[in-house]
Amino acid sequence: MNFMTEALAQAAFWVVVGLTLAGAVIAVFPRNIVYNVLGLVLALTGVAGLYVFLGSMFIGLMQLLIYVGAVCVAIVFAIMLSRPLHLEVPERRLPKVLMASIASFIFMVAIIGVNLRTAWKPAVERSTDWSVVTIGELLLTRYDLVFEVISLILLVAILGAIVTAGFSRRLSS
Amino acid sequence: MNTLSTYLIVAAILFGLGLLGVLQRRNLVGMLISIELMLNGANINFMAFNRFLAPEPAVGQIITLFVMGLAAAEAAIGLSIILALFRKLRSINVERAQQMRG
Amino acid sequence: MSWLFKDPVLLAAVLCTWLPFLSMAIILIFTRHKPQLSSYISIGAVTTSLICALFLLVKLAHVGGPVEYKTAWLVADDIIVPFGYLFDSLSLLMLLIVATISFLVQVYSLGYMAGDPGFSRYYAFQSLFAWAMMDMVIAPGMLQLYIFWELVGLASYLLIGFYYEKWSAGQAGKKAFVMTRLGDIGFFLGLILLVLGFGDLGIISMNEAAQAHAIPGYLITASALLIFCGVIGKSAQFPLLTWLPDAMEGPTPVSALLHSATMVAAGVYMFSRIFPFFAASPTAMAIALAIGTITMLLSSTMAMVTFDIKQVWAYSTVSQLGFMVMGLAAGGYFAGVFHLTTHAGFKALLFLCSGVFIHEYHSNDMRDIGKGGGRNLKIPMICMTVGALALSGVFPFSGFFSKEAIMGVLAAQPNKIWLLAGLLGALMTAYYSFRLIFMILFPKKIDQAAPHDAVHYHQEKDDKIRIDHEHDAAGHGASHGHGSSHDHEEGHGNVFWYMAWPLIILATITLFLGLFQSSLQGFLVGHGAEGHAAAEGGHGAGHYALLIAAVSMGLVGIIWAYLEFGRKGASQEGFLARLPRIEALFANRWYIDHFLRRFLDRAIYGGLTSVFTRNDRRVIDGGIDGFCLFTIGSGRLFSFLQSGMLQYNLLVMIATVGLVVLYFMV
Repeated sequence: MNFMTEALAQAAFWVVVGLTLAGAVIAVFPRNIVYNVLGLVLALTGVAGLYVFLGSMFIGLMQLLIYVGAVCVAIVFAIMLSRPLHLEVPERRLPKVLMASIASFIFMVAIIGVNLRTAWKPAVERSTDWSVVTIGELLLTRYDLVFEVISLILLVAILGAIVTAGFSRRLSS
Repeated sequence: MNTLSTYLIVAAILFGLGLLGVLQRRNLVGMLISIELMLNGANINFMAFNRFLAPEPAVGQIITLFVMGLAAAEAAIGLSIILALFRKLRSINVERAQQMRG
Repeated sequence: MSWLFKDPVLLAAVLCTWLPFLSMAIILIFTRHKPQLSSYISIGAVTTSLICALFLLVKLAHVGGPVEYKTAWLVADDIIVPFGYLFDSLSLLMLLIVATISFLVQVYSLGYMAGDPGFSRYYAFQSLFAWAMMDMVIAPGMLQLYIFWELVGLASYLLIGFYYEKWSAGQAGKKAFVMTRLGDIGFFLGLILLVLGFGDLGIISMNEAAQAHAIPGYLITASALLIFCGVIGKSAQFPLLTWLPDAMEGPTPVSALLHSATMVAAGVYMFSRIFPFFAASPTAMAIALAIGTITMLLSSTMAMVTFDIKQVWAYSTVSQLGFMVMGLAAGGYFAGVFHLTTHAGFKALLFLCSGVFIHEYHSNDMRDIGKGGGRNLKIPMICMTVGALALSGVFPFSGFFSKEAIMGVLAAQPNKIWLLAGLLGALMTAYYSFRLIFMILFPKKIDQAAPHDAVHYHQEKDDKIRIDHEHDAAGHGASHGHGSSHDHEEGHGNVFWYMAWPLIILATITLFLGLFQSSLQGFLVGHGAEGHAAAEGGHGAGHYALLIAAVSMGLVGIIWAYLEFGRKGASQEGFLARLPRIEALFANRWYIDHFLRRFLDRAIYGGLTSVFTRNDRRVIDGGIDGFCLFTIGSGRLFSFLQSGMLQYNLLVMIATVGLVVLYFMV
């Protein structure tokens, strides 16, 4: 029975990874922007699953909330407000694609190489407190700067978005 | 295979794919999507280290939350920039934006 | 300086050689604007030099070997270049010759150059020459000899181009300098070779080592041949002989001093200086003999067709120099030196006489001089005849003895061709000398076909006779009817005597120098010296035959010239006028100048300079241009990076980071 659960868990894990990577591929390669957004949604959902596998239900939910719920929807809005690119259809330039592939491949190899070569040492004492309460406590006591800063960033971002989008609207109309 | 390196490799692949998208796509929104992928790759890294190496699991999660918040802010700004640029260029083809050509 | 005054010999030597330098400096710096004073300074210096030279000769004549005063001037490891004085019989004799003739010429110039605007400059350069020549003569080492050799060349250039406003004079000076310099390149290379191979440039050590066979044969031959190049240049041997006729652009006293008696003799003098060195290389001697012969024959032919009085003597000088080189190269040390001595005397005499004619008639052309009544100037005419007789080798003039000496040496050579060449040369020498004499003595009858010219000439002659009667001349029948270009009211009589006395002195020397042959021989070579007694002074039957042959050649030449030019009703045209092609060949100096010009144009301008020009344009300029173009091109290449494309920038960033990480990983 344990073996079955184990195997099932493993299979589930690999399905989630596969979905993530498939979603990423769909997000990058096709030319249709709607396909890309949907791919992104799939990938981000997969990532949420990965977070769950990594032990934090909270972060997984947050991922779904923030990324899939807010960011992707915003992107869809932006797509709706802009002229679709497929009306232009410029041709793909091979040197650019080639150079981009090579560069990202090199980078990926580098990162993976670093990952594999480093002997990761876990900390000596590891606590097992995965509760949300702890997170909240830490956010308001030890890491309250983080909390404040992120609020500030969000504020600035909103203001900036208004300013950027708002002024040019005034100019163009 | 619930090891650290698995997660790290997955994160790396995600990052790499996102990088490829950023460098190669002409659609500005497509570039933004790829950037989101990159950020998520980095986040998975953080969570993986948090799970396997960190002394306090809460700290890793806080970092991840932080990055997520940042990603959201950045997406907002990015979209408004794309809108502004679209109004200027009447197109979201990044290859049109070459006024800084040398 | 007390060392100077302790030793009278050294004092005399220093005074002799350096007073002219002092006089030149004083004239150039202080007395440029006082011509009379300049001339007195210069003549005073050269007189003192003459007295000192006589003193040195008398004092050191009976010393057994050479006397040297040396100081180590340049020292490098084991090579020491000396500077100082070397007194042996040869240098003392030459010093006396140079001093005497300089003195006579400078006195003569008082008359000849009177009224010339460059009078002070002239005397400054004369002093320069005297200094340089004398210091060259007494040089103990080859380097000092070379330095003063070059200075003599400088003096020659300055004096040839003395009338610098005349374009041809400047050209002639340049030509002289460049051609002698060309020879000097070989000379210097020879000296370098000698220093590298032998290590010492001292004349005595060179000669001794060569005689003792201490120097390897190839070294002697190579350096002797190269040093001989200097002789070719300076003494106007073939092929560098054409500068000497052109050098007649200078004033006649200059021609008398430099280009007949002393400077051109410097080459021959140098040859005799290191005679043992040359003699140790039979190859070099053979080549020198050949070159001397060619020179002698060639320039004698050239003299036979020219109508310029100075050119005749110039070609004659070249020919006689060739003759001297022949004598020396055939092994006759005394013969060559003796001929040098006598030639200095009578050639200077001939030039100075020509100078009187030129000064009188303002023309170098012997026909004009003859028509103008040259025969009426008695002293110059007599002296010139004396000189010509000496040149032709007629007894009892000095030229006879010295020519005999050289003929004797040539006869001793195994191959008789050299002797035949010498005899032929003697014939031609007599011919052209007396051609000139007869053309002046018995000018061509004035053509009836040109009455206007006849009237003109008669008119001139009448003028001269009238002025003659008016003038308070010194009763010698010499007329000085020049135009009013000079102001010779007060110095007129003096001018005449300044020019006349040197002539008389030189003529006397020419007359009696021959009698001193045996004492000179004893002085130079020593009694009973090996190798020379057999060639000179021997009284065998062969010797008498030779005597008769040489004298008869001279007489035949004189008679031939008389037949063509001298007797009444003579056509005054040489036999060569009937052979126009050959005459043209001789008149164009055997096209040597043309050949040199073409060689210069093709080889040097066409070859060398074009190589260098091409190198300059393509390699040097091209290199720099290429570098600039490369910079521009690569800039253009790199500007492609600034495409303004965001993604390219990102790409480069990512790739760099990736590569860095890879580098540190691997």
